[in-house]
Amino acid sequence: MTDLTVKKVISSSAAQTKKLGQKLAKQLRGGEVLALSGDLGSGKTTFIKGLAKGLGVKQTITSPTFVLFKVYPVKHRDIRHFVHVDCYRVRGAELNHIGLADYLGEPHTVVAIEWAEKLKQRKPTTMRLIFTLGKRSNERRITIKKPTRY
Amino acid sequence: MIILGIETSCDETSLAVLNSKRRRLKLESFLVSSQTKLHARWGGVVPELAARRHAETIIPLLQETLQRAKVKPQDLDLIAVTAGPGLITALQVGVETAKALAATWRLLVVPVNHIAGHLVSPFLTPANWKLVWQRQTWPAVALVVSGGHTELYLMRSLAKWQLLGKTLDDAAGEAFDKVAKMLGLPYPGGPRVAKLAASGNPAAYDFPRPMLKTADSNFSFAGLKTAVRYSLPMRPSAQRKNDICASFQQAAIDVLVNKTLRAVAKHNAHTVIVGGGVSANQALRDAFAKALPSLERKSRLLFPEFRFTGDNAAMIALAAAVQTNFRIPPVKRNQLALQANANWELWN
Repeated sequence: MTDLTVKKVISSSAAQTKKLGQKLAKQLRGGEVLALSGDLGSGKTTFIKGLAKGLGVKQTITSPTFVLFKVYPVKHRDIRHFVHVDCYRVRGAELNHIGLADYLGEPHTVVAIEWAEKLKQRKPTTMRLIFTLGKRSNERRITIKKPTRY
Repeated sequence: MIILGIETSCDETSLAVLNSKRRRLKLESFLVSSQTKLHARWGGVVPELAARRHAETIIPLLQETLQRAKVKPQDLDLIAVTAGPGLITALQVGVETAKALAATWRLLVVPVNHIAGHLVSPFLTPANWKLVWQRQTWPAVALVVSGGHTELYLMRSLAKWQLLGKTLDDAAGEAFDKVAKMLGLPYPGGPRVAKLAASGNPAAYDFPRPMLKTADSNFSFAGLKTAVRYSLPMRPSAQRKNDICASFQQAAIDVLVNKTLRAVAKHNAHTVIVGGGVSANQALRDAFAKALPSLERKSRLLFPEFRFTGDNAAMIALAAAVQTNFRIPPVKRNQLALQANANWELWN
């Protein structure tokens, strides 16, 4: 088992959650799979909007719930694609049937999976982000777990 | 010109035969086979199941559509097929079937954008069809609102559209579905929310109207969904559920109607078009009808017939007729290279 670094952050607004995503984007080099879990409205999509912006995605990130995943072109030194996955509606192997396997762990691709807790088989993830509600109405707690040597 | 329309972008297999002769339009036959029951136990459309069911259904449905239209394959002039956006595995069944039929019958395949279909859907009604040729119909502002889309277009004619704005996160219909899921309502959630809303108090909760005041034509429904989530008690009573549905629906409708009408005023539009699955929502229809007289200029309001609000092949056939300008184009050599595109955006 690899060592894990666990980091806990508290965000007090949607704007701050977005900034955190943007900040995390700067650490990515391609090939990462991010698993995001948390309830409806806990800030996953907001975080991903920031992440995409940080990677240099020009398009607006819209909900992939309907089509299950969306692929965005990225202008970045090492990264070519950003893939936004939503497991809200489906469980497990379904996603592979529609071609997600082509992107998971690919060197020039960053994959972010929302509702990752719904996946029956764990995908090989490099980072796990858990979103929970804070005490105040706009407050969100984000727990980031990643391998120490990453 | 006799067009065979094919639509398989999500969970409805649909086929239609449309006869367009100059300015006359006749829907010879039109069938939809819905998979709603198949997906109900999963709480949403499962792509793999949808694709399999499309594959099983499409050929028998084709035979029946042609039979009812009293049309033989050799009478057809072209095949119109939804090539995107939608679920890739589902789209592929329609596109590949269209290509196979076209190769066998030596016909042209016209790829149609699903949204273009919704934009023209009100004109499948003969009374509305006449309006297409009248100058006072255009420009029009068109709202396409469904489980997968919330987009506002400016239409200078039936074939000239321009994106004015779209949702920055969730589609309006998706918010309906997610609220239904929070309340434990069975799939499909949107119509259930509308049903409960009918016996609830729309002023019981003051939910946010996201982006109501912004000058652009973009929408946002994720925040509204979140607000509903936080107003939810542990075990809501039946009346409380009705009130939540009514208040949520009112908030969504307020945004949709206000933003659309603002675009109508800004672009001096003569017509308001509302299409897509959510356009079947009676409260939305009523709200539009009620708000329209507040506009300075008198505008006409066009909705598709209820049978054309959901995904259907009739609108796809009509969009192809518009796209080809009602003429039969020559068969392209490379048309077998046509591919379904799950993320095909109309404005690109």
